[in-house]
Amino acid sequence: MNAMVGETYVRRLVIFYIPLFMFVFVMLFPFAWMLITSIKPDAELYNPRISPFIVREPTLEHWESLFGTTLFIRWAINTLWVAIASTAVSLFAGVLAGYALSRLVFRGSTLFGIMIFVTYLVPPTLLFIPLTGVVTWMGLQDTTWSLIFTYPTFLVPFCTWLLMGYFQTIPKELEECARIDGATRLQAMSRIVIPLAVPGILSAGIFAFTLSWNEFLYALVFIHSPENKTIPVGVTSELIKGDVFFWGALMAGALFGSVPVAVVYSFFVEHYVSGMTGAVKG
Amino acid sequence: MQKKITQRGSGVTRRDFIATTSAAGVAATAFLGGKAPAFASNHKLHYLQWSSFIPDADAEIRRQVEEFSKAAGVEVTVEMINQNDMTPRITAAIESGEGADVMLLINNQPHLFANGLVDHGALMSELAGGDIYDWANGAVTVDGVARAVPLFNIGNAIVYRKDVFDELGLSAPNTWDEYLEVGRALKNNNLPVGQTLGHTFGDAPSFAYPLLWSFGGMEVDASGKVVVNSAETHQALAFAKEFWEAACDPGGLAWDDTSNNRAFLGQTIGATLNGASIYFVARRKFPDLADKLAHVNNPEGPGGRYHVIGPRSPAIMKYSEEQDAAADFIRFMFQDDNFSQFITVNSGYVQGLTPKWENHPVWDSDPALKIFSTNAKYGRSYGHAGPWNRASGEVAEKYIVVDMFARAVQGEDPKEIAAWGQKEMENVYGA
Repeated sequence: MNAMVGETYVRRLVIFYIPLFMFVFVMLFPFAWMLITSIKPDAELYNPRISPFIVREPTLEHWESLFGTTLFIRWAINTLWVAIASTAVSLFAGVLAGYALSRLVFRGSTLFGIMIFVTYLVPPTLLFIPLTGVVTWMGLQDTTWSLIFTYPTFLVPFCTWLLMGYFQTIPKELEECARIDGATRLQAMSRIVIPLAVPGILSAGIFAFTLSWNEFLYALVFIHSPENKTIPVGVTSELIKGDVFFWGALMAGALFGSVPVAVVYSFFVEHYVSGMTGAVKG
Repeated sequence: MQKKITQRGSGVTRRDFIATTSAAGVAATAFLGGKAPAFASNHKLHYLQWSSFIPDADAEIRRQVEEFSKAAGVEVTVEMINQNDMTPRITAAIESGEGADVMLLINNQPHLFANGLVDHGALMSELAGGDIYDWANGAVTVDGVARAVPLFNIGNAIVYRKDVFDELGLSAPNTWDEYLEVGRALKNNNLPVGQTLGHTFGDAPSFAYPLLWSFGGMEVDASGKVVVNSAETHQALAFAKEFWEAACDPGGLAWDDTSNNRAFLGQTIGATLNGASIYFVARRKFPDLADKLAHVNNPEGPGGRYHVIGPRSPAIMKYSEEQDAAADFIRFMFQDDNFSQFITVNSGYVQGLTPKWENHPVWDSDPALKIFSTNAKYGRSYGHAGPWNRASGEVAEKYIVVDMFARAVQGEDPKEIAAWGQKEMENVYGA
């Protein structure tokens, strides 16, 4: 950061570097904690008399335990597949619904928009019971398809609501010009509005991906076989046994489980920020 | 089966044990292997249970499942998940009418899910008979109908540092007054008693309820009327405050079920109420520490000695289309040879629910765990002196008794706390 005219070093330190350091510390601390715990031998993990931040004799035994004795790689593949598929389905539906609700005038459109938002507010802890019946009826029990089918119940309302707002920030005039030039509604949407809405779509996609990646309850209820589980359920079912927590392996699982989400965020962070702050700037 | 149970009474020797289990094995072979499979090959059974932290215990269940599958010609899928995740799975399965055919229920879950469970009366008579402990019977009997069959129990006891006790000239406490003095000495030596009074389902109620009962306090009378606001309860609460200040680690108010494990293994506390898991983890990871550990039952008070323990009970779901195969699978688990092997691989972590299992050879294999053999006979259920029903379960879920003790140790007046507890429980039970 270059100093502005009249700005002192102290002033920069106070208003920029110290808050930045605090923010980075808070953001990175969980990752550091997971890493430290995952490479500590049990003797150090259970010893409260030594500093929790220092690893004296680092070990990979917890990593070996995670990758060697559990199906973590399989769970990671399942989680990735479910997150990508359910995000794609939800984004497709969300883009169409969001566009329709923000652009097309039809009777009850406002009410419909509100209803979609209210649907998003229904907690999964209430929905999982009726959804179990639906999943069973469709013969999807114990398959990853059960999750790809049910995750959109909370992802589609979320994506729709977010994209509705985003589409409304794109000037209608741009689309109207295209229509005057002979484009159909579909062409105007796909060639004018959607390209402009990419930051918003990416934001919705990142959120949807994260929500799918971390989802626990549906994955717990609908999946039975160890080889079909996702990371959140697999890790807790294999590494928590009664009142015995395998802390090292758990933290290794949490660390490796959170890396893909962090990678996705870092790839799209610029689009994500612009998606959060509005669309076409005047 | 009942006859077999009677034959294997007290005083069993290793030779008797081997002979009896061999005979049971032969009987099992006759039952399952000596005749054509009872079921067509397309029959499938799904069994759901918790996953034990003792790997051999899960392996033994898988072995039993495999043997039963071969013998009965039924394809059995066994699924093991974290205990805390069992409840949503059971709820979803019963509400949707789809899921595992047999589930291993815990504590009073047969009361909570009674509508989704078949009548296990015949199986109960056949497998558990009249010898089963009353509290285990009460955990599965809903309005006079057995909704599951109690198989085993995971007990709890006070685990303590024998070496520290020896060094300080202390003996294992037999009464609460003795435990107070022992705890005082421990705390003066920077190894206090570690006890949670937080909202955590295992260790907190396992401490609070027995303390209440051992002073003569009870939540309800036999007719179901709430009577927790009593002189006995006041005494128990007053004692808890004294015990907490003199003997306990004050941080325990914020602990969960794992905290005392960590503190004990980290050697910052000298005694704590727990299952045998601390000992097992120590044996596996810190063998030097394990050699210094011992267990003792909960102390006795004016009203007796108690432990909160709940059975693990396999139950057949009403929606199951394989109820006959499910019943045979439960019979298979109950067979003496199978259950004996299950107890053996658990090395004393689990207990049988009839007195005869107190004499199982496993209890002679490790002196540190022998006390758990007597644990089950001190068992008492939530909702004393009434049944372990939905209301007593709700009182436990709301941590009313735990909160009474948590408030007491923080200095509130016992009479006011008991009055509060009375009101809260009346809201649950109905005044």
